[in-house]
Amino acid sequence: MAEERTTLISRAEWRKPWVRIGVGGTQALLLVGLVVIGLGPILWLAKAAITPTNDTITHPMGFFEHGTAWSNLREAWVNVDVGRYFWNTIEIAIGSWFTQIVVATTGGYALSVLRPKYARFLTGLLLTTLFVPAVVLLVPLYIEVVRPPLIHHSFIDSYWAIWLPAGASAFNVVIVKRFFDNLPREIFEAARIDGAGPFRLFTKIVLPLSKPILGVVSVFAVLASWKDFLWPLLVLTDPNKQPLSVRLPTIQSQTELGVFLAAMFIACLVPIAGFLIFQRSFLRGSGLGGAIKG
Amino acid sequence: MKSIRIATAVVVVGLVAVCATAAAIGSTTKSVTISVASLIPGSTPAAIQQFNAQVAEFEKANPSIKIKPVEYQWTGPTFAAKLAAGTLPTVFEVPFTDARSLGDNGQLADISSYVKALPYFSKYNKAVLAEGTDSKGQIVALPKGAYAQALHYNRKLFSQAGLNPNKPPTTWAQVETDALAISQKTGKPGYVQMAKDDNTAGWILTTVVYSLGGRMETGIGSKAKATLDNPQTVAALNLLHHMRWTDNSMGSNFDYGWSDINQAFAAGNVGMYVSGSDVYTNLVQASNIDPSIYGLAPLPLAKNKNAGVLGGGTLAAVKPSANTAERAAAVKWIDFFYESPLISKAQAIRNAQTLVANKQPVGVPALPLFNKAQYDLSQTWIKPYINVPIAQMKPFTTGIFNQTVVPEPEAATQSVYHSLDAVVEAVLTDKNANVQSMLQQANSTAQSAISSGD
Amino acid sequence: MNAVSEIEVEGVALGKDYRRARRTPRTWARSGGFSTLLFLLPMLFIFGAFSWYPIVRTVVMSLQHTNLVQPATWVGFANFSKVLHDPLLPIAVKNTGYFALLALIFGYPIPLISAVLMSEVRHARGWYSALAYLPVVIPPVVAVLLWKTFYDGGSVGVFNTIFGWVHLGPYPWLQSQRTAMPSLVLESTWANAGGTVIIYLAALTGVNSELYEAAAVDGAGVFRKVWHVTLPQLRGVLLVTMILQIIGTAQVFLEPYLFTSGGPANSTLTVLLLIFDYAFGNSLGGDYGSATALSLMLAVFLAIFSLVYLRATRSWSD
Repeated sequence: MAEERTTLISRAEWRKPWVRIGVGGTQALLLVGLVVIGLGPILWLAKAAITPTNDTITHPMGFFEHGTAWSNLREAWVNVDVGRYFWNTIEIAIGSWFTQIVVATTGGYALSVLRPKYARFLTGLLLTTLFVPAVVLLVPLYIEVVRPPLIHHSFIDSYWAIWLPAGASAFNVVIVKRFFDNLPREIFEAARIDGAGPFRLFTKIVLPLSKPILGVVSVFAVLASWKDFLWPLLVLTDPNKQPLSVRLPTIQSQTELGVFLAAMFIACLVPIAGFLIFQRSFLRGSGLGGAIKG
Repeated sequence: MKSIRIATAVVVVGLVAVCATAAAIGSTTKSVTISVASLIPGSTPAAIQQFNAQVAEFEKANPSIKIKPVEYQWTGPTFAAKLAAGTLPTVFEVPFTDARSLGDNGQLADISSYVKALPYFSKYNKAVLAEGTDSKGQIVALPKGAYAQALHYNRKLFSQAGLNPNKPPTTWAQVETDALAISQKTGKPGYVQMAKDDNTAGWILTTVVYSLGGRMETGIGSKAKATLDNPQTVAALNLLHHMRWTDNSMGSNFDYGWSDINQAFAAGNVGMYVSGSDVYTNLVQASNIDPSIYGLAPLPLAKNKNAGVLGGGTLAAVKPSANTAERAAAVKWIDFFYESPLISKAQAIRNAQTLVANKQPVGVPALPLFNKAQYDLSQTWIKPYINVPIAQMKPFTTGIFNQTVVPEPEAATQSVYHSLDAVVEAVLTDKNANVQSMLQQANSTAQSAISSGD
Repeated sequence: MNAVSEIEVEGVALGKDYRRARRTPRTWARSGGFSTLLFLLPMLFIFGAFSWYPIVRTVVMSLQHTNLVQPATWVGFANFSKVLHDPLLPIAVKNTGYFALLALIFGYPIPLISAVLMSEVRHARGWYSALAYLPVVIPPVVAVLLWKTFYDGGSVGVFNTIFGWVHLGPYPWLQSQRTAMPSLVLESTWANAGGTVIIYLAALTGVNSELYEAAAVDGAGVFRKVWHVTLPQLRGVLLVTMILQIIGTAQVFLEPYLFTSGGPANSTLTVLLLIFDYAFGNSLGGDYGSATALSLMLAVFLAIFSLVYLRATRSWSD
């Protein structure tokens, strides 16, 4: 796919042999580097997941010197119960995703489309929240889960302790609001004139149009949930409810290395698969949609 | 209009929730359900099956009590979290070091009346029982197991190194030479020691120091004085330094904690290490150890009148929020599961049979909770079922009763251990670590923890 | 529902003042104010309960002694004093600064250089982006545990085996106070650089090509173009990613916690780890007052740092 715009290296320069070789060579090196460094560790993990433990310990860089050990995967799923933790992780991710979508869409919609008088104030409050480091929330949020102010029943070991706070992502609301800000106002006016109220406007007009941004929010919500460690570690003390990220470190000393590496590999499968399938949403969202310009 | 309707709905739902909760708490139905600590997470299915078999047996004998097993492992940080959240099972376990403070803070139920009603109550070893008694004299926990620190060694590596597996080292100098032999002849570390930042490093260092005759504290309570920087501590650290840097017999891994040192040993990668005398159970349940490699020796003691073996133990306690019926049920379970196998022949045999049927270890050496005569008696009851390599543990079982068992430092125990963690790690990872200044630092940290009554 | 258009028409016809004067609760409700509130309810509830209330609580708790058994007591600045006198605090601050510095030196230029190189790729640029981003999607716990295996200090550890091929090592990696922190930074860079690469790539596409053409006309070679066109154009992004990285690394927790538990000998103890220890490290109950006090001090420090940073760099990004 040829680029039409002139970028760093112009067409003319490309024709110069030393530019082609120099830059091309560097790019080739970069590619090799990316494969070895970016992909290498993951490939090693895949290999080690099906290698007998002894081989991994004595000859870590070997290649199936004594055959494969697919049983590692089976043992990880069944004996170490990786299956259960896998489904826990999925359940947590779905709930967190849902709260984030609900909060971001309703909040963004209200601030951007309905525009009450106090919208500016709320948006400012959100932006300030964005700059508060997460560490500030840790202890009081924990105490709140342990001893909720009005309800006298702790939320420890309940997934609500993870689902609800997950919705408090100012970043989500800000990017959804921005997206709505960029929607043409004429559509709303037309709908209003046709007699649509705020609810109809939301469900029939705004939501269908927001698929791209919802895709980005969803991808990040699920990924963030899959990667979450400290918070689930604190609030889920019951091993049967813990997700993979919390459980894996704890079982390391009870599991032989080969099976443990197989468990880790299983934990990577969903994020990697999700990434390969939804690459565009990932990469678009990560680029912050060109949100930050020079 | 809409808002009023919504508000009413919220109030109604709230009222229903409150009523339901009140009903659940105040119920006085015949059957009582209590949750109990079962096995550590990640235990083998066989171990879990054995536990469930015991639960079934108890429920059959006590039809009005329902037991809910909950996986449980005491580690410093997670225990505090569960305690704060109130998510501990009704019956849970705490180490000797914490019980008194927890009791004094009102975090353990007073079970004195139920415990005193037990037929064998008067037979308890007074010192051991005292570990579960708070400063007001109320019994808040019953001892379920006591252990002494011991030296675990790999018989196979001993043989491979040309050492006699039936003659484990009896002095620290011998430990050093044996470790050197193992590391030179087998390539595996001859001696390793816990060095993780989770208080286990300080715990084992304290063990070695006590075996040399030193003590970490004098006095009791918040008036106690920290003596971490005593000469025996320096000696213990020098011993480590020598093995690590001069002999190079400690391998290349210096962040072992309690679980992973067991794992490494069970995998045959460690010559000797110090831990509680009862870890064989964990070696079997979590790491599938090959029994033939296991050897157990008493901790080498210096020829010093203060030299003693650090003892410890675990107690079974009850949640303070448990009501009368639950406390009675809890003590019944504690009696059945923890205590009676030691005191009742029939129960001991039944217990042993269930364990054996599920391939769980029977006969792991322990310290008496009652007295030595009772302990010997209970061992004869289960003799036909013992499936641990008891002959390989003979050095310990014969030697321990000639050793003085010393309790762990009484005030702010975990804080004392924690302040020593960094010193141990420093000695093992930095050849030129300034031991003196680090010890002084540790001492003042421990002293402030003691004085603030932690 | 024509209430909205009615009032708007009225307002236009009668002037803004008139509309404002007539704004009663009924008109507010009629103008859709209630449904707006309903839409805002999820956000207000979630943020109120799990963001704004905790922030206020942090400040309150830092001035109290809380142990969850008895009611909290006010202790003024005692917690702050206790934290400031903790001998571990200077160690934690130094280590956190060291981590942030190493991450900046090592982890800041690499994504930029990679992105610039990648932006010039003619064919299959998608592969480059995907490979760069792959480590980012791996759950951090898996990445850390995997690298912990790599970092085994024995001669048969993965890295030591590889270095052994060229007769280097074996290195202690996590088992030495000198090499522990750099080992952490290495893994952290691996796991996070990809995200920054993608941000830079996106920003690079926004660079005005006329500038490159103009530079080419002036006879600038590749390096001159990067220095005089690319970097200045990217100034905004570069400054933002730098401050974001500093704020992020100042709160590093996972790597020191899982790799070394703050060891060996506190050489990887960071501020977050210290906060965690205060709150969750004691088996008899946490010192929540000290934990919140230290959290607050860190937050205030980062806020001041950000302000100073923005002030200092404002002249550069205009």
